[in-house]
Amino acid sequence: MDRFSLERLHAGTVIAVMSVSLLSACVQQAPPELVQSVEVLDRQLVAAHSAEFAPAEYARFVQRWAALKERLRSDGDLVGWPWEDNPFETDLRALHEEGSRVLALAIDTRNAERRGAATHVARLERRFRRLTSGVDRIGSRVVLGEKRVETELLVKQARSFMEQGRFVQAQRVARQADQRMTNQAAQLNSELSRYADKAQVDHWRAMVRRTVDWSRQHQAAALVVVKAMRRMTLYRNGKAIASYPVRLGFNGVQEKRYEDDGATPEGTYRVIRMKDRGQTEFYRALLLDYPNAEDQRRFQAARRTGAVPSRSRIGGNIEIHGEADRGLSQTLGCVMIGDRQMDALFLAVGVGTPVTIVGAVNADNQVAVVLAQLEQGDDDTNEDDADPSDEQATTDGTVVEQG
Amino acid sequence: MKLIMTTLLIPALCLAVGCGQAPNDKLSEAEKAVMNAKLAGAQAYVAEDYAKLEGMLNNAKTELADQNGKFALFRDYGKTEQLLAAVKAEAPKLIEETAKKKAATKDAALSAHQAAKDAVKAAQALVAKAPVGKDRAAVEAIRNEAKALKASLNEVQMAMDMEDYLTAQAKAKAVQDKSLALSSEVRGALAKVGGAGTGKSGSQAQGAKSPKKKK
Repeated sequence: MDRFSLERLHAGTVIAVMSVSLLSACVQQAPPELVQSVEVLDRQLVAAHSAEFAPAEYARFVQRWAALKERLRSDGDLVGWPWEDNPFETDLRALHEEGSRVLALAIDTRNAERRGAATHVARLERRFRRLTSGVDRIGSRVVLGEKRVETELLVKQARSFMEQGRFVQAQRVARQADQRMTNQAAQLNSELSRYADKAQVDHWRAMVRRTVDWSRQHQAAALVVVKAMRRMTLYRNGKAIASYPVRLGFNGVQEKRYEDDGATPEGTYRVIRMKDRGQTEFYRALLLDYPNAEDQRRFQAARRTGAVPSRSRIGGNIEIHGEADRGLSQTLGCVMIGDRQMDALFLAVGVGTPVTIVGAVNADNQVAVVLAQLEQGDDDTNEDDADPSDEQATTDGTVVEQG
Repeated sequence: MKLIMTTLLIPALCLAVGCGQAPNDKLSEAEKAVMNAKLAGAQAYVAEDYAKLEGMLNNAKTELADQNGKFALFRDYGKTEQLLAAVKAEAPKLIEETAKKKAATKDAALSAHQAAKDAVKAAQALVAKAPVGKDRAAVEAIRNEAKALKASLNEVQMAMDMEDYLTAQAKAKAVQDKSLALSSEVRGALAKVGGAGTGKSGSQAQGAKSPKKKK
């Protein structure tokens, strides 16, 4: 082979080798570690419930990821100049950045939703506890009837949704429960507004004053029951000499309207019979003359207007009796005290002793205060709201021996 | 020569136009598949996977739109058809996954519902044992609450009927908790008046000497 041919062969070989090298260097593939990192990010986005907390951003990400995966599948190997960027790498990095932003957004949004729902549910539970304790304090559980249970179920449901991580649902149910409690507070206010009515409270106070005056004028015993205070005071010669805690009907805070409604009547009565041991199931009892003429008149008027069921009866057998020691929390409408206190009462009163039962004698009575608190529904108020201070006072403000 | 060229050109043109036919029927099928997945509950039960399916469909639509925007001879719907085929293949898998998750949630809800029913029944049985005489005041206040619990079971059933199993489960748990609390309260009240065994007959025997009390 001559020199010229050798030179040509050598050049051709060099060119061939260079071409192959150049081609090899320009085949661009998707970096596998970058593909894997985007796949890991995708899984993190799923775990963060991104479709729920960043729906639009997540939708854009998944669309771009699907398109890129399709390109990787169909255009797996690209050829480009060595100084050019690898488009797969560029796009994967951009997608990873976008995905990271979406992940941060989803986490932030989820945390914000969680905090919001947690705060709302906690406030709801506090409000419900306040409603429940207020209702129990004033003995108005029967007034709300089934509604309190329905609200309690919603409160529990809100908590369940919170624990399941369903924050939107938790907030929705919490709002329903909030609205119900607002309605129930309004209902209580409507049914028990008498306790917050100045004219009514003045009327009750006047009734008590007349009874105390009678006791003074006749130098005799008289009894006054104040339902809001759950207290009965024994007067003699116009002076309060003893005060006893009492338990009332299961619907005692209400005004008695008909038989079996569980309410304790209000009015001026007299003891018409004293039942000693063996004559009553309640240790000892003082039978009152309920219903009196005023009760009859009121009942007939209520029946005419349909305020009470047409087939209802007025009821009777309202007593002051013992057996509070058994731990029974309420009666069917009577006034209940302890057996030892009944013993003391039996010595102090007799047939004909006046017994005045009123709702309250102070404007800031327990029922009025609780109603105001419930209507306010302020979630920043202290849960241990102070009770009104009238529980230890007598009806006319004097200090008495505790029975 | 002219004849040969014409003979070759016409089929080539037809082929070009044929390759340019938009796969609208395949698009409809893919959209229907995604809708079926949504109706099966995929958006609620496997939200992220459903979002991916929608993303695939949107990509296919974007590709279709891109091809439609080209001159007819240059259109190639091959990739579009592949994307649509992928959507159609993925949707049934999603439906199957949804069914599994739904079944698991349904089982949990059914179990909670039954537990709630049992608890309400027990509470009502205790209230029914409450005395009717002088001591009935002990449970009178909570009698209405027991009724409310029974009514709440209907709401649980409604949620089950709507296949909202997570809501049904939450409601059922709430009903069960309250029923148990109510039963405990009734038992406490009955214990004070002489035990759950007193019942109606006990009160009547006790009150045999005196007629029913007005109150």
